[in-house]
Order: sequence, then C-alpha cells, then structure tokens
Amino acid sequence: MSYIEVKGLDYSYTKNKKVLKNIDFSINKGDWVAVLGHNGSGKSTLAKAMVGLIEPSIGSIKIDGLELNQDTVYDIRRKIGIVFQNPDNQFVGVTVKDDIAFGMENLAVPREEMLKRIDFFAKKVQMEKYLDKEPSQLSGGQKQRVAIAGILAMQTDIIIFDEATSMLDPFSREDLMKYIKKLHEEGLTIIMITHDINEALLADKMLILKSGEVFAYDDSHSLMKDKDVFRNSYLELPVALEIANSLTEKKYDSVKEKLWEYVSMK
Amino acid sequence: MNGIIIGQFIPGDGFFYKVDPRSKIAGIFFLMIAVFLLKDIYQVLGALLLTFGLLIIGKISFIKVLKGLKPIFILLIFTFVFQILINRQGNILVDTNLNISLINIGLVIILFVIWRFLAKFKKFNFLLFLGFLFGSIFIFIYSSFSFDYNLTSFNLQIYEKGIEMSIFVVIRLLIIITLSTILTLTTKPTDLTQGLESLLSPLKKIGFNSEDFALIISISLRYIPTIFDEANKIMQAQASRGADFSEGKLKEKLKQVISLLIPMFIIAFMRSEELADAMESRNFVPGKARTRIHELNYSYRDVLVTAFTVVFFAVALLFRLNVLGY
Repeated sequence: MSYIEVKGLDYSYTKNKKVLKNIDFSINKGDWVAVLGHNGSGKSTLAKAMVGLIEPSIGSIKIDGLELNQDTVYDIRRKIGIVFQNPDNQFVGVTVKDDIAFGMENLAVPREEMLKRIDFFAKKVQMEKYLDKEPSQLSGGQKQRVAIAGILAMQTDIIIFDEATSMLDPFSREDLMKYIKKLHEEGLTIIMITHDINEALLADKMLILKSGEVFAYDDSHSLMKDKDVFRNSYLELPVALEIANSLTEKKYDSVKEKLWEYVSMK
Repeated sequence: MNGIIIGQFIPGDGFFYKVDPRSKIAGIFFLMIAVFLLKDIYQVLGALLLTFGLLIIGKISFIKVLKGLKPIFILLIFTFVFQILINRQGNILVDTNLNISLINIGLVIILFVIWRFLAKFKKFNFLLFLGFLFGSIFIFIYSSFSFDYNLTSFNLQIYEKGIEMSIFVVIRLLIIITLSTILTLTTKPTDLTQGLESLLSPLKKIGFNSEDFALIISISLRYIPTIFDEANKIMQAQASRGADFSEGKLKEKLKQVISLLIPMFIIAFMRSEELADAMESRNFVPGKARTRIHELNYSYRDVLVTAFTVVFFAVALLFRLNVLGY
C-alpha cells in the first residue's frame, strides 16, 4: 500500500467553480514528488487539503493508512508538515529558538527533549549560530530553513514545500534546494509544489495539474521525453529540453534562436 | 527596518535582570500601591531614597531613568505648578501682585525669542528652558515702571502647604516612573508577557485564558518590525506615485494617511490568515495544554525582592493607619 493515497478529491471555494476535480494519485514512502501547474491550477489548494486546512467536498486522503477527517487531523499533522511561500508569515516565535520550539510546544514535548531537538535540527539546517536572533535579522532563505527545522523537530516524515523558494533570491533558492535534496536522501517523503520546471526536474516524479485535474503523473525522466505534456499544461520547457527537442527534429534555426535567447537571458 | 527596539529593554547583567519576571511584576505593582498609601513628604522622600537604592543595587544608570522621565516632564511641571496655585493651607509664604502690562509682555516675548534662538545649543536645552521659565516669573513679579500701561493684575499667593504638597506629588510620580522603568529596562518583552501569563493564570476559573492572551501579545510583538517594514514599503510606493507624506494641509495629510492605512489593513489581514494556517498546520489548537520552551525559575533573588516588597508595603500601611507615627 502506498504511503499517501488521494482518491477522487473535489474541492470548490464557491459553489459553481471547482478548484480540484477528481484528483487521484498515490505517493510511496521516501518519494520526492514535484507538483507542477500553471497559476490557478489548484496546486496550493491541494497542499492545504493534504494537511487538513481545508475540507474536500468529496474524496478521501489517506496518509500512512490513516484517513484524514476531523478526528484524525491532529494525528496526521504529526506526520506531515508544510513550508509555506512567505517566509515572514509562518514565523511564529519571537526568536529562531522559539519558532523551532513552537510545533513541539503544541505537541506537549517535554522541555528537556525540546532543547535537545532544537540543537540537533538547528545544526541540520545550519542555523545553530542564530538561535537567539529575531526574524527581522534573518534573510528569507534563513527563515525558510528555520521553518524546515521547526517541522523536522516535530518528527514528521512528509514535508510539503508550497512554493517555498518562490520569494527567495536565486542564491538562497539554490541553497534551499540543496537542503531539500539532503532531506530526501535521508528518507523523508517530499512533496514540492512549484511552477519552476528546473526545480521540478530534481524530483523523482512529477505530478502535473491543469485546471484542477491531474494531467500527468509519472517519472520525471519519462515525462521529459514527452514535450507535449508541458506545452499542453501551459508550462514552459527547460531550455536544454527545448534545444534537445529541436535537435532531434533537425530544426537548426530554432536551435540557434533558443541559444541566443538563453545567452541573452543570462 | 532592522534594530527596532520594542519596549525599553536594554541587555545587561545587574541584579534585577536575574529576578523572575513574576516577582518583578508583582513586586512593582505592590510597591506602587504602597507609595500611594504614604501620607506626607518625609515618607515619600524616604521612599525616593529607597528607590534610588534599588537603582544602585541593580546597577541601573540614573541617566537611563532620566531619559524615561522625558515624555512626562511636562506633566511633572504642570502638576507642580497646579498644586502650588490650588492649595491654600498653612502659612502664607508669598503674597504679591502680578502685573500684566505691555512692557511686561514685551520683555517676556524678547526672552522667549532669546530662548528659542539659543535652543540650537541642544546640550543646555533644559537649563535654557528653566531660565526662560524663571525669567518670565521674575519679570511678572518685579518689573514695574511708572510709565507702563497696566492691562490687568492679580494676586499671587503661595502657601507653605502648597509647596509641600506639590513636592510630595512630584516625588510620588518620580518614584512610580522610576519603578516601572526598572521593570521595563531589565525585563525582555517575552519574559514580561510570560510573567503576566503566569500571574494571570488563576483567572482561568472565570473564563480568561491567560495563555492565549500571552500568545497574542508575543505574536504582536514579533510582527511589529514586519509591519513597520511593510508601512515603509507602502509609503515609498505611494511616494513614487506622487503622494507627499511630509507636507500639505491637515486635510491632505489625513487623505495620505488613509492611503497608507487601507493597504496596511488589507495586508495585515492576509498575513494573519496565512499565519493562522501556518500555526494550525503545526498542530496548534487554542486552549490545548502546551509545554513551554521558556522556563521561569525562582531563586534567592526573588525571595529578596518579595521580602523587600512585603516590608515596604507593611510599613506604608502602618503609616497610613497611624499605627506608626511621629
């Protein structure tokens, strides 16, 4: 049985317009799945539904054999954590230490244990020197790392990144991707919501949403061979892939154009 | 905007920094009540000396406390003058006629111009102000010229009790402000809220959840710099579209403030929604029992502070009830 199972999920904010339509997919333990989609495709809504912040109209979400409902939502939130887009709006504590502790305080972890875990996980995201700093003294990337530490400290084994890199500068973005990769190597299940294909290419699997429906769900490598998938779901192909496609089709003019475009962008 | 200091806390390592916030808050609360129980000038003078003693024990510099007095300086002067003029008990000390005449007013205006002109030398600001104050009083009392046009005159009477009472009231205010400054200078805002939370926790029985209250305060404190940042950005954005926040008439200024406030409100609401999501996803349930990363610990210092408070309060009460007398 899969670790995460989503079946026939429907959700609508208003009566007529469905944001999610009949979403079906499953994720194995330890997978790294990128959820891709254009603006308004329902990516973030899906993430919110998976941590029980919104209740789907129809359908079920099962995590580790536990079906998400009003009674199990607190147990499920022990297994699944979410890092949001805006680094400032998820920093609850007055200092880094307080913020890492916040989730554990909610779970009523004893103080001695909390201090141990704070030290351990702050080191893991390399924030151990900043424990007494306030959020206004940290960069966006550092705040996101603190958010990760806060989730890890709750001993969750699934982390959702809801466009967690989109408000960061390119350098911190790359940095954060390294941490995500490391977490994946340590066996965590990672669901990464993004609209950046270059980021999504790092994941094992890609789940492509289009207007609230699952458009494609497969290995990243097999998906990449099918250029129409990206085009039809309003996503931009990575430059390397576009050039490769043009080369196989022997459209050399278009290769030249793409290369010029790429060089002038850099 | 980095380095905004919330509250007056200044890091340090004096005696009061290590006192538990609970005993500090409770102690200062009861000391303030005790100061109001005192009846005459000798008692408050004694209390003032004790307060200075506290400052010395806590290694808190007088200058910092004086800075804390700055905002209420006008209030102090007003109270002082008011008490002198109102109270009409005891022996009469001063009884003169104040003449308000053209030359008097002229002289005071000249003095005022000199004061404002010299106010550039910021160092002696306070001395200059006193010079102006006493200079004008002097002019009103003693200047009389035979060729003057007297507009009006009134009788100024100052009584012994009036001076005593005004000094009494001012000293009492001084003590109270110094005490609260000791608290805010030596206690971190987070400790302050946690201390309050702990002290207010008995109110749970009547339905007041002090934990939620403390969380609300600590989150507001955490978001003050963020909101300031936001306000700055919006002000710049509005300025780049031609808004001018520094000039214009009151009406225009009001309009510009509204153009700042409305986006601020909308952003604050969006923020709070996202924050609520983030807190909920980290398993926060309002009212549920939580453990705390910060621990409050009593030490021998708290015993000292509490003992001092109890003795001070008891003595003040005995003075009040005329048990201790002289």
